[in-house]
Amino acid sequence: MSVWFAGSREGAADVQIRASRYDAIAGEWGPELILATRESTSTAIQRHIRKLGNPVIALAPDDRLWLFYVSVSIGGWAGSAINAMYSDDFGENWSPPKQLVTTPFLNISTLVRNAPVFHRDGTIGLPVYHEFLGKFAEYLYISPDGEVLDKSRISKGKHSLQPTVVPTSEYGALALLRYAGETHHKVLASRTEDAGQSWSEPYPIEPANPNSSLAAIATPNDGLLVALNDLEDGRFRLRLMGSDEGLSFWKPVIDLDESPDPLGNPFSREVYSDIIGDKFQSSSGPRRIGLLSDFLANLDQRVCSMHGCDFEYEYPYFIKSSDGLYHLVYSWNNTFIKHVSFNDSWLEAQL
Amino acid sequence: MIADLWQAQLTFGLFVFLLTPGFGLSPGLQRVRLLVFLAIGYIPIAGLSLADYMRSFTGDLAITSLVALAYWTAVRTGFAPRQPRAKTLQIVAVMACLALFLYPATMGLSYLDPYRLGYQPRPLILFVGLLTLALLALQNRLGACMLALATLAFSVGLKSATNYWDYLIDPFIALYSCFALIGYAISRLWRNGSAKRRDALSSQPG
Repeated sequence: MSVWFAGSREGAADVQIRASRYDAIAGEWGPELILATRESTSTAIQRHIRKLGNPVIALAPDDRLWLFYVSVSIGGWAGSAINAMYSDDFGENWSPPKQLVTTPFLNISTLVRNAPVFHRDGTIGLPVYHEFLGKFAEYLYISPDGEVLDKSRISKGKHSLQPTVVPTSEYGALALLRYAGETHHKVLASRTEDAGQSWSEPYPIEPANPNSSLAAIATPNDGLLVALNDLEDGRFRLRLMGSDEGLSFWKPVIDLDESPDPLGNPFSREVYSDIIGDKFQSSSGPRRIGLLSDFLANLDQRVCSMHGCDFEYEYPYFIKSSDGLYHLVYSWNNTFIKHVSFNDSWLEAQL
Repeated sequence: MIADLWQAQLTFGLFVFLLTPGFGLSPGLQRVRLLVFLAIGYIPIAGLSLADYMRSFTGDLAITSLVALAYWTAVRTGFAPRQPRAKTLQIVAVMACLALFLYPATMGLSYLDPYRLGYQPRPLILFVGLLTLALLALQNRLGACMLALATLAFSVGLKSATNYWDYLIDPFIALYSCFALIGYAISRLWRNGSAKRRDALSSQPG
């Protein structure tokens, strides 16, 4: 199952948390489902809800499917709180959402973006971040029933957010963070050796980061696979990179999607339509080819502005399924969610 | 969750009662006014009650705030006498200290996160217990009651929050306490300055 938020624009009142189920045998995605709306969230938590966003879905070892997403009652994303709901029948039926209380300041400014870590004791480690006054990352401990038990701080200050956490040993894990500062434009890394109770001070590592989200997952050889915009500016190329556990050696695996312009410069609408039409056809599979003309007729402010039309591949989300396949989904030019999957053999051949 | 909703209704009623003028009504009519405001909190608009809308913006108040609101309401409705200013100062001093310890670091200024102390709160409960005893020793029953009821509510899990701090303090009582303390300090300085000026004038040879 994959989840995303969709509506007329980011932050609009009509934004819903939507999902689709993947049929691994047919290799196709099912129809779009609605998992949460402003109204359903408001009714469940008895608060006015202004907007929704950032859903994260993950299957726990006890086969409970968790969905976390943020809702805002007042202000912008800095006013977010995290809601949690779960399903014990693989997404057929869901519990009502419950708002997690995570800060003492009106319970605002906690957002989720990346996959949780399921601990051996049944608790859930949820990487979260704050955007009110500061921008910093934390690690929430949540009980199997969805109660916040504890939290630890991964970073401080105003320049790091959206941590993606990869377990590296029984008690060890690595967090990679989006960099929101103006100094080095590099991905930040932090480590824990005590199951997330404490984290080292984040430090810049080799891959560049244009203040964009990234997703990481462990590989069988104790390495790391990271999907990111390895750029100092723009999100016109989404790259898969491999690294060793020490993060000292990095190698590009494949460029998943990229603008034909190596600098990411915008295109005129006509040229853009031709290029993105070709990309649409090569990415969509036969079932969606019929949607091409509608898609091209509706290229709007999500991809085109006064200065031209841009390519944007962003917000990757990574999992490895029980059959050993890697699944990566990401936002494709703010109009679709693209799914890419591969196995260890393919990965070994690339590395 | 049900306790949260009940608390939202109570907060709405007390808040509106205290924020609106009393119009010089007798204590008996003030009680009627309070009941009216408590009832108004239940009026539904687009699926949510008025109290729920207020809660959307204020969050759930700490138990200490609720006790303080209840006390001021009791004073206005004639159920309790107004306590001496010195005792109020003791309470705002305690709450302001807690606020200054908690909020700045919680905003991500450092790796130290005092809010975390509220998840395994034994040391914090012990400290608040000592504060409660100190307030009792000062015969400050309201202050002791605020802290004791907060701890009691936490021990029975009255709110959906699992962190002890959420029972002890919220931004409203924190800001109120800090401003009240600053106001007191300024008025004290002003009075001292005025007294010195008077002394200086009276000591000048006539």
